[in-house]
Amino acid sequence: MPTQRLFERIDSIELQQVSKKYGSRYAVESLDLTIEGGELLILIGPSGSGKTTTLRMINRMIGPDTGSIRINGQDVMQLDPVRLRRNMGYVIQNIGLFPHMTIGENVGLVPKLEGWDEKRTNARVRHLLDFVSLPPERFIKRYPRQLSGGQQQRVGLARALVMDPPLLLMDEPFGALDPILRTQLQEEFLEIKKEIGRTIVFITHDIEEAFRLGDRIAIMDNARLVQVGAPEDLIFDPVNELVADIVDTKRKFKHMDTLNVKDLMTPLDAKYILNGGVDACDAVEIMKDREIEIGIVFEKGMLAGKVEMVNLLKCEDDRPFLRDIAKPMKVFALRDSVATALSEMKRSGEYVAMVMDGDTVGGMLVSDEVLLKLI
Amino acid sequence: MIENFHEIMALWDKHLLTMRTIEHLEMFSIALTISVIIGVSVGVIIYIRPGIASPVLNFLNILETIPDLALLVILLPLLRLGTGPTIAASVIYSILPIARNTYTGLKGVDSKYIYVAEAIGLSPRDILLKVRIPMSLPLIAGGIRIALVFTMGVVTLGGLVAAGGLGTVLQNGIQLYEKDAILLAGLWTGILAVILDLGAGRIEKKLYKRYGTWQPQK
Amino acid sequence: MAATEMILNATWEHIVLVYTTLLASILVAVPLAFASLYSQRLASVVMSFANLVQAVPSFAVIAIVVPFLGIGFVPALIAIMLRALLPIIRNTYIGLTNVDPAQIDYANGIGLSEWQIQRYIRFPNAYPAMFAGIKFSAILANSIAVLTAFIGSGGLGEIIFQGLIGYNTEKLLLGAIPAIVLALLIDLSFTLLEKKLTPGYIKQ
Repeated sequence: MPTQRLFERIDSIELQQVSKKYGSRYAVESLDLTIEGGELLILIGPSGSGKTTTLRMINRMIGPDTGSIRINGQDVMQLDPVRLRRNMGYVIQNIGLFPHMTIGENVGLVPKLEGWDEKRTNARVRHLLDFVSLPPERFIKRYPRQLSGGQQQRVGLARALVMDPPLLLMDEPFGALDPILRTQLQEEFLEIKKEIGRTIVFITHDIEEAFRLGDRIAIMDNARLVQVGAPEDLIFDPVNELVADIVDTKRKFKHMDTLNVKDLMTPLDAKYILNGGVDACDAVEIMKDREIEIGIVFEKGMLAGKVEMVNLLKCEDDRPFLRDIAKPMKVFALRDSVATALSEMKRSGEYVAMVMDGDTVGGMLVSDEVLLKLI
Repeated sequence: MIENFHEIMALWDKHLLTMRTIEHLEMFSIALTISVIIGVSVGVIIYIRPGIASPVLNFLNILETIPDLALLVILLPLLRLGTGPTIAASVIYSILPIARNTYTGLKGVDSKYIYVAEAIGLSPRDILLKVRIPMSLPLIAGGIRIALVFTMGVVTLGGLVAAGGLGTVLQNGIQLYEKDAILLAGLWTGILAVILDLGAGRIEKKLYKRYGTWQPQK
Repeated sequence: MAATEMILNATWEHIVLVYTTLLASILVAVPLAFASLYSQRLASVVMSFANLVQAVPSFAVIAIVVPFLGIGFVPALIAIMLRALLPIIRNTYIGLTNVDPAQIDYANGIGLSEWQIQRYIRFPNAYPAMFAGIKFSAILANSIAVLTAFIGSGGLGEIIFQGLIGYNTEKLLLGAIPAIVLALLIDLSFTLLEKKLTPGYIKQ
């Protein structure tokens, strides 16, 4: 049965004096927060700080004990929960694709329940799979377990977008992925965000992710909102020690000048190595099995470059060899300065580079991991 | 005893084993179909009203301990001789495994799927029909497989209350002490039951594979 | 009264048949399950046989016994055993193999002998499952013992078959109802026994 759309766009989401108690403990206490239409607001804080409870109160999965949550001025508690939730996309860390449905059925479930005809549902599903870089003809009939974690997360995003919701709620959507995959999906998500221009509330515990994606960041601790503002507000004007601790990026870079690439590189995991003689379509299967989104191509023991899953997925008839399509990547020596290496990588928008020790492979330099090691 | 293939075929024809097998499978299919309909319904009902789950399952458990022949016999005054009491007794035995597995399956669906289903706006009815029931299919199939074995057992007893089927051949064989006939009919009944059980086992395994859950790596 | 005496006699015969079979089944099944621990081949033969035969209708098992052993108490006992063995073997074996390997490692580490491991680690672990198997077998034996009257084992089934011949409703019920009561009593007594014998660390 079709449900009437509650709102076409978000002007504002206002949480006023919202509290939720479990037993004698506050999960969220006296929260005042206004989310502007069209912004991406990050909720960040230690676990148990009330981020997820806040998110779940917005779509009525949890009802507040006191206070009100208004979307465009309407109190969510007055709205039908099913209608409300069909107007919001929802993405979570463990994805929760239904294992008994194909990718197409998973994405098309709510449209089907809304009474869309098969043709319209199918067109919408295909459009969205394309949008998240999963060619529909290859993926629509597959089951979730036949997909890698990263691919499943893309399907999760497609499912959340299927009703074209003006609001997206995302609870650590990239949290379970390995660092390289996470960075890759973040980059793609930024592209998507530009295209769709919706209001997004996004939970993370990763401050890098928060800075990379967020328009504004709300820091929560101990069931309370500590500070909310643009990244630079938090860096230059933290209200207390905790905020300073969470956002203090200066400290991370303090010793950077004295460090070499060698100190902060990661060993090259064999799973990233691909042979130049493999064709692009086979490579997609291999990468899926290994759960990697990026591969380092070697040809006769020599580095040939890198390939990324998103680009390979378009392979169809020509089946090019990896050695012919591998893109050049930055190569550093063991003694190069980390600061120089990172700024070079940042300038060209790359997040992974090779480290060579003469002719032999020394390891990989992954920008996110470097930052993590410095914290 | 039995010398060769021709003798077996002669014995087969003499005891009308083709017809008896058809009778047997007919009773079996009717009984199992009814059991599945009632069993799944009971499972869903006690899932929706959890207050009655425990008394209902306890009652069905007690029925399960009753000797099958005794159950068949006490149904005779109500249902007369023949296929009626045989099918009824089969169904009475088979409700428990199907209902219990259906109930366990519906209750046991990983809460993360239910959580997601709610979050993307499925109504409680949609969640039951689109998520809980399909995800319980492997367990429901396991229950049906147990019921299949029970049903084969009771339908074979039907021969003793004039219901026809392979039990009739066993009964006549034992009464007339025709060793060849007993052995042939006994083995054939056993093989038939094992084949059906193995077939059901394969379906069950397939369902597990098809509906098996996938967990993201931590 | 003659009817009372007939029922009492038949009930006694029934009980003797059921418990003799149960005892014999335990004596065969438990050692077999322990032996299966030491031979992968024996284990796989025993377990796949148990799984297959489980599906065979009791009446067919009884019938197959007749050409080889004839009729009477012993063939009936064998026929019941063929079915009643399986739950005990399966449950015992599963219980014995389901021990946390770390416990066995530890036991080896502190120098327990093979026998001591069986006695103090595997057996207590298998015990609840084994007991459940025995309870199930007792109910199964009671059920099949009604049927073996057809091959001359005596017991309550005999009254039922006499009733079937002349379609005598009264006799049918005189045989069936005590058999049902006996089943309920077995279930009840084993449930009570189970509660009493369950070691404290398993109880809630």
